[in-house]
Amino acid sequence: MTPGPARFLVLVAAIPAAIVVVGGLGFTVAQSLGLLPLVGPARLSVDAYTGVASELPSSIAVSVGIAVASTTLAVLVGGTAAVLIVAGGRLARVLIGLGAATVTVPHLIGAAAIGLLLADSGLLARTFQVPPTDWPSLVGGPWWVAVILEYAWKEAAFVALVVAGTLTTRVARFDETAAVLGANRATRLRLVLLPLAAPSVILTGAITFIYTLGSYEVAWLLGRTYPEPLSVMAVRLYGEVSLTTRPEAAAVAVVIVTLSTLVAAAAFTLLRRSAVWR
Amino acid sequence: MTTAITLQAVSKEFKRHPVPALRGIDLDILPGTRTALLGPSGSGKSTILRIIAGLEDPSGGQVLIDGRDVTGVLPERRGVGMVFQRSLLFPHLSVLDNVAFPLRAAGASRRAARAAAVPYLDLVQLPDYADRNVASLSGGQQQRVAIARTLAARPTVLLLDEPFSALDPDLRADMHGLLAELRTELPPTIVMVTHDRDEAAAVADRIAVVESGVVLQHDTVERIYSRPSCQAVARLMGGRNAVLGVVSGAVHSSDLGQVAVPESAPEGPGVLVVRHESVQLLGRGAAAAHPGEVYTGTVAQVTRNGARRSVTLSRGNAAIEADVPPGVDVSEGSTVVFSFVDGAPSVVPIEAHAAPGQS
Repeated sequence: MTPGPARFLVLVAAIPAAIVVVGGLGFTVAQSLGLLPLVGPARLSVDAYTGVASELPSSIAVSVGIAVASTTLAVLVGGTAAVLIVAGGRLARVLIGLGAATVTVPHLIGAAAIGLLLADSGLLARTFQVPPTDWPSLVGGPWWVAVILEYAWKEAAFVALVVAGTLTTRVARFDETAAVLGANRATRLRLVLLPLAAPSVILTGAITFIYTLGSYEVAWLLGRTYPEPLSVMAVRLYGEVSLTTRPEAAAVAVVIVTLSTLVAAAAFTLLRRSAVWR
Repeated sequence: MTTAITLQAVSKEFKRHPVPALRGIDLDILPGTRTALLGPSGSGKSTILRIIAGLEDPSGGQVLIDGRDVTGVLPERRGVGMVFQRSLLFPHLSVLDNVAFPLRAAGASRRAARAAAVPYLDLVQLPDYADRNVASLSGGQQQRVAIARTLAARPTVLLLDEPFSALDPDLRADMHGLLAELRTELPPTIVMVTHDRDEAAAVADRIAVVESGVVLQHDTVERIYSRPSCQAVARLMGGRNAVLGVVSGAVHSSDLGQVAVPESAPEGPGVLVVRHESVQLLGRGAAAAHPGEVYTGTVAQVTRNGARRSVTLSRGNAAIEADVPPGVDVSEGSTVVFSFVDGAPSVVPIEAHAAPGQS
């Protein structure tokens, strides 16, 4: 294909994406700064930010906490599964099947299933015949266990499939090379497999973190009502009867975008430092 | 220390491939030899190498290294080094760290491994590239580093799987020179896979010709060229002449005439094979001077290949191809006198299906 038509096709895809991202982000920032009021005159102010300032620290803490815990679990479980998939054999086929089945389940359905499984009157409590009063507060409890597990379960499958896909295309020959150079399985894992997997692990980890930070359904369904994660707070404020809270919802959304941007920047910094990326 | 490799009735079948890759191969690679496994693509030569290295398990048979059965032994425990067609340098490691890899795998600290790796980098004449990223090296430099890395593992056997086939001719010649220079540093037993007979002759002292999962002949380079065991070997080694005839009393008779062949040639129908380099075009007076040792033929075709020319000579149903020396004038339709270099002709059995173009 000549450069002209190729550029045109790229533009066809890029222009709508740019309009949505830049336009949507600009609209949100403008609304959070009082420049696009639903009623009354436009006036530059940080009132929306000061309006949610008292709740922001606890919301940021719980959102980041959930994202860190979920991402850590997802990367550990998904990364291990990826290594097992690359090793091949029957277990690899089972893991690929499980991963493929898991990523197709919507988070909302997953959250409902986790709730039915982990609640004090859920399947596990009934199976083990534990009275609700003795069952730990996994759903709606102080440690957001059900929320973290739901995200970790779903995102571990995503991490496993992406990392395994990256590794299988390039690692097999390097693994053979390391073996004939005298490296045993553990050494190959430490000196070859993990360093080569690092870029895809960093990328999938960053995607998982940003997704977890920005999505609200799971925390809304399985979490407690206070402190609210940022995403839940933003949706609640946006949907309130009083239209004057919309700038505050936009302000919370801007905070989420800022945190996500920081994480993305950190991920790309790590990637640039990784030898494989260079 | 020299190391022998023995393959006993080794076979290999891949799943979902109806045709076996190897069919009961027996091969004795003598200690201290440099053996080239030569054959066309898909002949099974790389599979043999991978089975020796332990990267593939044979479907049947045994692999012995120095008399020890290593069938089923993990690659890292065989003491075998291997250089692949692609250099496969680890992209996350510098040049020096790549060479130091086998030493680190053996348990050395990073500092000690790096210090021990430096001499190997010197061996391949890349001492100034230690800190370079491997992606910044040329193809030839990458293969040099791959060789240094393999040598650093101190293998008892070195396996080379078409290591220079991706390089241009000049670089390939450089690498052959490097192997010759490293002769004292290389492990004494080397097995190299190639489909290039010139490379096989340049690097190896013995050649095993492989086709369709079978070793057709394993012998010295000289004998593989001069005494092929069958038409397939002669063809794979670049032989262009095959003349059907009958052997009686160490003489092959055909439309070409009576040609002296080795005493060992079996009586009865057989194919005379003689390399085109061993056919000498003679002056017009030669027939009278050497009756019985010279032959006449009509020039059927003159072919130019760069600066060289070859000529196809026909006589009856027989045809012989010969190189034309510089300065000799030949033209199509003319009659020329030729002879064979002493001892060059030999006889091989008739193939069940003679290849097209062979008389």
